[in-house]
Amino acid sequence: MLTMTNVKKRFGEKEVVKGITLHVGKGEAFGLLGPNGAGKSTTISMICGLVPYDEGDIQVDGLSVGRSPYEIKKKIGVVPQDIALYPTLSAFDNLVFWGKMYGLKGREAKARAFEVLETVGLSERGKDRIETFSGGMKRRINIGAALLHRPELLIMDEPTVGIDPQSRHHILETVKRLNEQGMTIIYTSHYMEEVEFLCKRIAIMDHGQVIATGSTQELCKRLAGGNQLLLDVEEARPAFVEKLKQLDGIEKVIHPEPSEIHLYVKQGQDMMASIVSMAAKEAVKLRQIKLKEADLETLFLQMTGRSLRD
Amino acid sequence: MRKIIAICSLEMKRTFKRRSSYFIMFAMPLIFTLLFGGLFGENAGSAMPVAIVDEDGSIYSQQLIRQLKAHPFVEYEEVDAATAKELLSEKSVEGVVTIKKDFLGHVAKEEPAVMLQHPPGTAAAPMLEQLYNQALRTLDLQVTAAQIGASYENKEWDLVFEQLIETESGTDGISEIHMNDTQVESWNKMSYSSAGFSIMFVMIVMLFTTGTLIEARSMGIWSRLLTTPATRIQLTLGYVLSFFIIGFVQFSLLILLTSLLFGVQWGDPLGLAVLVITLLLCVVGLGMAIATLVKTSEQQSAVGMLLIISTSMLGGVYWPLDIVPEFMRKIANFVPQSWAIEGFKSLVDGAALGDIMTPILVLLGFSIVFLSIGISRVRYQ
Repeated sequence: MLTMTNVKKRFGEKEVVKGITLHVGKGEAFGLLGPNGAGKSTTISMICGLVPYDEGDIQVDGLSVGRSPYEIKKKIGVVPQDIALYPTLSAFDNLVFWGKMYGLKGREAKARAFEVLETVGLSERGKDRIETFSGGMKRRINIGAALLHRPELLIMDEPTVGIDPQSRHHILETVKRLNEQGMTIIYTSHYMEEVEFLCKRIAIMDHGQVIATGSTQELCKRLAGGNQLLLDVEEARPAFVEKLKQLDGIEKVIHPEPSEIHLYVKQGQDMMASIVSMAAKEAVKLRQIKLKEADLETLFLQMTGRSLRD
Repeated sequence: MRKIIAICSLEMKRTFKRRSSYFIMFAMPLIFTLLFGGLFGENAGSAMPVAIVDEDGSIYSQQLIRQLKAHPFVEYEEVDAATAKELLSEKSVEGVVTIKKDFLGHVAKEEPAVMLQHPPGTAAAPMLEQLYNQALRTLDLQVTAAQIGASYENKEWDLVFEQLIETESGTDGISEIHMNDTQVESWNKMSYSSAGFSIMFVMIVMLFTTGTLIEARSMGIWSRLLTTPATRIQLTLGYVLSFFIIGFVQFSLLILLTSLLFGVQWGDPLGLAVLVITLLLCVVGLGMAIATLVKTSEQQSAVGMLLIISTSMLGGVYWPLDIVPEFMRKIANFVPQSWAIEGFKSLVDGAALGDIMTPILVLLGFSIVFLSIGISRVRYQ
């Protein structure tokens, strides 16, 4: 459905996307992860045809975004991070307008607006003005506005920012259902659990590059260490950190906070005793030691050195 | 085309759904028209009383008085010097204009030929001075015309001047039959206020309407519009058309309402339609230019209102340009409102489309400049 080949984008002197190559299959739910400034939004803008790319090519369903932008826009639905709706108009009027902008005729647009209201679970609030809606309801209509023309590819840019758990659950269920019905989804979020719930494959972006792609399981296997040991110390002296790095079985050491040390290890349980004894020898007060199973968050931190919400 | 209509109908729906829109679009201009039209109308008795003393008593001084009396905002009472002094001390008049003996001789020597007495700090003085200079210029033209005519006909120039005055008086006499009818006179004043305040409030409404561009930009609606299969040209046309139609509906209804409520005669319908269309293009362009030059709605309101009110003052929306100094009238040439007012005045006075081509072309020039700035600066990002 989507193929990106060595796509580059430069804003002035700064290269913000440095040769991305990606493939998203038809009917797939694909997660795009990356901290702020990683180049996710620019990548999405290039797929949507909002921002032209400088090099490489992006193809949607075999058509090049650069050459057939309007044909491609008919196949894509975009859910922006902003709630891009008219607050003084009703949910129904908003949906009809966006339907018309996607080329639907009057009656068709109205019929689809009713269907979409049902899809997002807001049939009873169709006549109410958007400004009277809660944040979660607005987000649901924001998604609905991208579904009116039955897109083959739905691109969602952090669609659950700042909403209550109930609305988040509803949105995730709706997106999952759409994907099960055959719609291809590209989903970006700061919430790992959303991506893990929805997406079979993910790509991690950092500094304008895709640094890893694959299924969650595949990527977790790629972790330098299978597990993570989280040390909470009173003061992590450099000498102590250096000695930890030299211990057998420790793959990587990250020191994100003055009192925190993250160790990536193959067998966490086995390492605990040696770490405790080294702390005692170095006179470092160890307040807590915790073993964490590998997950996307761990993977992300290890690969980028930053938390996803940084 | 469907997408252009979709944007157009959406923006119209948004505008006409707001109850406050009706107040600004229709109630406010009608209230202002009524207040100012009535205030400047003769029946409201607001004409400034001024005593005039003719020490010269010549046909030239009488012609000057006739010129002065032609202005509706001042009511001259011809009295002798003693009565004038009394009236001034009683504050029954705002000032006394004394035409000195040997008026024409003084004028020829470029000496003061008219004396103006007024209480200190009166606001009437600059206006009276302005009106006097204007009347003197007209008289000067008539004298020059008489002198040229006399040289051709080998006659004494003052005889030719008398003939000229008589002919003019005769014409005045005929027009007086119509123009002295107070109703017709009031209509003209009401027409003036109607045109002025319709222009101003169409501009104000356009300022709020074009604010949708800033709103759409800040809310991410522009970016979302660009993810739809609509071209930038379609989007721009949709917005321009919606602004134009909103302005056209407002102006048309104001014309209808002022005709029905105040009996305003707007003149030749074809000329009126073309003038309104060119004015709206100019106003839409100005609104779009402001909306795309500023960054926030607050900036747009502040800059826009300042611009509209100041240019309306300069352009003769609140008061006729006849009463402002010469340099202000020159500045008014750079303000679209003054050209629109000139066009409407001509139409009300019976002009047809062909007679108002100058204001139409000037307004078209303004439209091209403003629309070019507005459209070229729409970035949709």
